[in-house]
Amino acid sequence: MMLSRIADSLFWIGRYMERADNTARILDVNYHMLLEQPPDTYKLRWDPLIAVTGERARFYKMYEEASAQTAFDFLGFSTENPNSISQCIINARENARTIRDRISRELWEDINGLYHKINKLRQDDESLSRFCDAVKRGGHRFHGVCDATLPRDEGWHFVQAGCVLERAEMTARILDVHYHQLLEGPPILNEARSHLWMAVLKSVAAFEFYKRQYTQIEPAKVAELLLLDSRHPRSARFNFGALQSSLHAISGSVPGSYANEAERLTGKVHERLAYDSIEEIFDGGLHNFLTELQHTCRSIGEQITRAYFHYAVVA
Amino acid sequence: MSSAARAHSSDQFLFTDYEPGPFYDELIAPDGLPRPCAAAMYEKLAAMPLEVFEERRKLADLSYLVQGITFTVYSDGKGTERLFPFDLCPRIIPRSEWDVIERGLAQRVMALNLYLQDIYGQQRILKDGIIPRHLVFSCKHFRREMVGLHVPRDIYIHICGTDLVRDSRTGQYLVLEDNARSPSGISYVLENRLVMRRTFPRAFEVCEVMPVDHYPAELVQILRSLSPRSGDRPVIVLLTPGLYNSAYFEHCFLAQEMGIELVEGSDLVVVDDVVYMKTIHGLTRVDVIYRRVDDDFLDPLAFRAGSLVGVPGLMNAYRAGNIALANAVGTGVSDDKAIYAYVPAFIKYYLDEDPILQNVETYLCSKPDHLAYVLDHLPELVVKAVGESGGYGMLMGPSSDQQTIEDFRVRLKADPRNYIAQPVIPLSRVPSFDIATGAMSPRHVDLRPYCLYDGQKVTIVPGGLTRVALQKGSLVVNSSQGGGSKDTWVLRGDE
Repeated sequence: MMLSRIADSLFWIGRYMERADNTARILDVNYHMLLEQPPDTYKLRWDPLIAVTGERARFYKMYEEASAQTAFDFLGFSTENPNSISQCIINARENARTIRDRISRELWEDINGLYHKINKLRQDDESLSRFCDAVKRGGHRFHGVCDATLPRDEGWHFVQAGCVLERAEMTARILDVHYHQLLEGPPILNEARSHLWMAVLKSVAAFEFYKRQYTQIEPAKVAELLLLDSRHPRSARFNFGALQSSLHAISGSVPGSYANEAERLTGKVHERLAYDSIEEIFDGGLHNFLTELQHTCRSIGEQITRAYFHYAVVA
Repeated sequence: MSSAARAHSSDQFLFTDYEPGPFYDELIAPDGLPRPCAAAMYEKLAAMPLEVFEERRKLADLSYLVQGITFTVYSDGKGTERLFPFDLCPRIIPRSEWDVIERGLAQRVMALNLYLQDIYGQQRILKDGIIPRHLVFSCKHFRREMVGLHVPRDIYIHICGTDLVRDSRTGQYLVLEDNARSPSGISYVLENRLVMRRTFPRAFEVCEVMPVDHYPAELVQILRSLSPRSGDRPVIVLLTPGLYNSAYFEHCFLAQEMGIELVEGSDLVVVDDVVYMKTIHGLTRVDVIYRRVDDDFLDPLAFRAGSLVGVPGLMNAYRAGNIALANAVGTGVSDDKAIYAYVPAFIKYYLDEDPILQNVETYLCSKPDHLAYVLDHLPELVVKAVGESGGYGMLMGPSSDQQTIEDFRVRLKADPRNYIAQPVIPLSRVPSFDIATGAMSPRHVDLRPYCLYDGQKVTIVPGGLTRVALQKGSLVVNSSQGGGSKDTWVLRGDE
């Protein structure tokens, strides 16, 4: 028996923790890549980063240009940006605090500890990379503590669903924004191009894995790994598979059928990711594919809400 | 460590210059030696180097922070979370003293329940003229809706938090007030003990302290017994106003300890006079609600219409006998501060016994002669609004300026029924760590034991919450005004 409100909070703890983690990853990797790049590529580097988070309009209301400093401020700490890392952690903690009687003491103390640590780092004016490192470690620890202390009941599956849905959407966004940039942006150096894609891979912890599969950095191969690979925990396919398992575990419906709209959409996308080739996706236009994928992720989120969190009660 | 403390630390111990002073000291006798109950703990603390004590104090604070045991202060506009200061020197009560307190409280809680049963039933006590009719019916928390409503097992007050103080002049414990609506603070009792056990494990080996951890089990057993449906697995929930309530931590803590669901008003829905909660797989019937929401906000259809934390239709379900509430609705007619003055009379009337614990002398401003006396002696009295709690609506005469006193004079004359006055009680004190001097210093305390009533007997976990006024000379122990808490030890014996 699980209250709808509790399930809602668990789902969002997963989403916010994952969002904080992803944001820290792209911030960190891009910052380090930039250190060795010619100065005229600055804008090229920081602007897409803001776009990935879907907060471009808000950003340019607050700052004139995208630089390391403004991006760090906006994505790291800004209270104006509801998706900044610290806001995500605050939100995850608020959700955890609300349902602390329903999660393990270890999990609450871990999220609460991360919150205090982030607050302290901010006051100490620590460097970007130490900050991102703390958040990434926090993300890893979060998964570890969940794994080691939460019973595998519906609650667990709601946390999982939140994490993997967020991660799938973030992976689609990262890919989409950089693709857009490469196709339509000003011409850039070849070496910069390969550095960019290396940075993308590193931001999702897939660089080493990629290098073992493929010899050279090729955008199509990067897309193939991040979308269609069944093994890497940040690929879209992997995450849609995990989402499907969790949704079926919650509803009790068998694979191949669906109990609600969220399951139907998830199953549909997962099939495509399992059976389409990267060439087929490119033929239809990668950008179109990624746009649709992001759109579906949003719909799935809404449908989960409708099926489990906010449904109508008939008197 | 403060710089002052550091300067002293090399040769100073915690009790080096300790002076119990002119008030009753719970641990130290007037000759400066520990009382028998405190001897073992005193020996440990007195021999402890300041550095070691400081280290343990920091660890204890850290454990509260990590666990997020904080309360929220809204006065600064930001909703800052603060630690409820915890003092490491325990308050120690010898067994023989506790036995008296326990019997006295049990007697009082029984009488209060009989009074409520009577007031919402036959009203014999009014007919017999023991308490004036108008005083009862003018109570802010009297609930007309409860008259004639049968409550499960005739229990109104399942949980009572009674505030006691020890009068330094006589050494006697006195009842300061009853909290019969939804008393909070028990989570601190349990957490404080946990922290103390971790901080001074060795002390527990020698001091024979009675355990308190069984409180949630005792409470849930009572809640279970209230279920209107038969079957051994009733659905019990704790209803909280939500995250922004200052006692939210406690609500979570108790729900978790009792293994019951923590719900907000929006999680519940009433269909055909039956209460359900919304789960991911549809509606589940609820049998018992341990509610931490005030009467006023419980059901927007029955009480305050704008309430967002309540459950529309809950009173109908209650009236239909489909749900049990703890505490019952309307218990505020027993802990009103004007009614308080009559509790000794209730004990005599319902139980035919003499009160074991005495009240503080109380002037009812609704009586013209009492009012006249109060108006003449405002600078030396404590004046309290009858329906308030938590230190709100209060005048501390001796520490108030002329203007504040005059303001209260106007209020008293305008609405005398709303006020009572009491002499200032010289509260007993307990050694407490003073950060500024880096040594123990006496501070005033009160005591709130938590009584559970199952319809037959009253169970009290030994001790309760000792609140301490950490500011030097202060008599106000409320957390909102610089108060802290201590672990309370009831010993198995007297030493």
